[in-house]
Amino acid sequence: MAELIYLYGIIPTNEKSTTPLPSFKGLDDEHDVHTLSFDGIDAVVCNLEESEYNQSALEEKTSDVEWLHEKAFHHHEAVTKLHEKYTIIPMKFSTIYSGYESLESTIKEHHKKMSDLLAWLSDKEEWNLKIYCDNEALRERTSAHNLTIEEKKKEIDQMSPGRQYLEKRKLDHLIDQELEKDKETYSSRIHDQLASYSEKTDIKKNWSKDVTGRSDEMCWNSVYLLKEANVEDFLSQVKHLQEVWKETGFQFELTGPWPAYHFAKLT
Amino acid sequence: MAIEQSTQSSNLVDVLETVLDKGVVIAGDIRVGIADVELLSIKIRLIVASVDKAKEIGMDWWETDPYLNSKAANKEDEKLKEENDQLQKRIDALEKKMAQDNRLV
Repeated sequence: MAELIYLYGIIPTNEKSTTPLPSFKGLDDEHDVHTLSFDGIDAVVCNLEESEYNQSALEEKTSDVEWLHEKAFHHHEAVTKLHEKYTIIPMKFSTIYSGYESLESTIKEHHKKMSDLLAWLSDKEEWNLKIYCDNEALRERTSAHNLTIEEKKKEIDQMSPGRQYLEKRKLDHLIDQELEKDKETYSSRIHDQLASYSEKTDIKKNWSKDVTGRSDEMCWNSVYLLKEANVEDFLSQVKHLQEVWKETGFQFELTGPWPAYHFAKLT
Repeated sequence: MAIEQSTQSSNLVDVLETVLDKGVVIAGDIRVGIADVELLSIKIRLIVASVDKAKEIGMDWWETDPYLNSKAANKEDEKLKEENDQLQKRIDALEKKMAQDNRLV
């Protein structure tokens, strides 16, 4: 029966020679994960039954939320496991080839770039920082320390009591606006301090509360590619910044090391 | 501050976003378009939450409803069998007793 090839990622052959591939089951929970060598680089793959994972079968499967949940996590866990042992170019979920020849020709086409990328990634790892913000705490700070607000308050003090009432309500609105600006400014200041330890950075989208399931709001989400040698300094800097910003209502959440999903690019 | 290993506790949307959206893309032969990652995360969160919530508020009747759960069905069968055995024993005892009573008359 025809079999497809599911590709998890690319690792250097010499690293695999010194550390044997851990044994685990592939995406279908049946076929074993194994490697295929192509002149210095290895593809980590598993075979899949064609009838169950062809285009239309896969489309049907991916429309099932629970299936997708389980398999996306399988992919993530497999790549993370590999990343613990090897330098890896992580593939996007569901990169599937019709057979050996097709995979071989694709890898041959990108061979030089893949080898270069592996060499560049070899001593690096990816970390993700999210900053969550307690609006109440930060609102107090903004209200007390923001220059625009301070000036406005002085202006209001000079006014007649009637106007003061109206202007104070306007001021509340202004504080809300300034609060949003302050969040952005402070977060990006934190980011800049961390970026100096990094080879590359990327700023990601903030997820809404519906998506995170948290009660506080995400106000910053970024990824850092670090040299292994700099990881410890980076971590202690994050810790230091967390201490500094705690009172402002900023809660840091740092995760890693991740495979270099955001920085492994072939183009 | 929480410094976490990505394997253990990365939150749902991060894993989905990175593996479904990031990672190296080299054209495979089979392509799937995956729906919006945010929407997907919310859906999964709701599914997980609804199962947990149902248990919490005691709405887990389907786990003991024989029509919906085979384990429950087995349990139900066993219970009936036990009841049956007990009734049978009582009938035997009563019949024996009746037989004895009849002899006395």
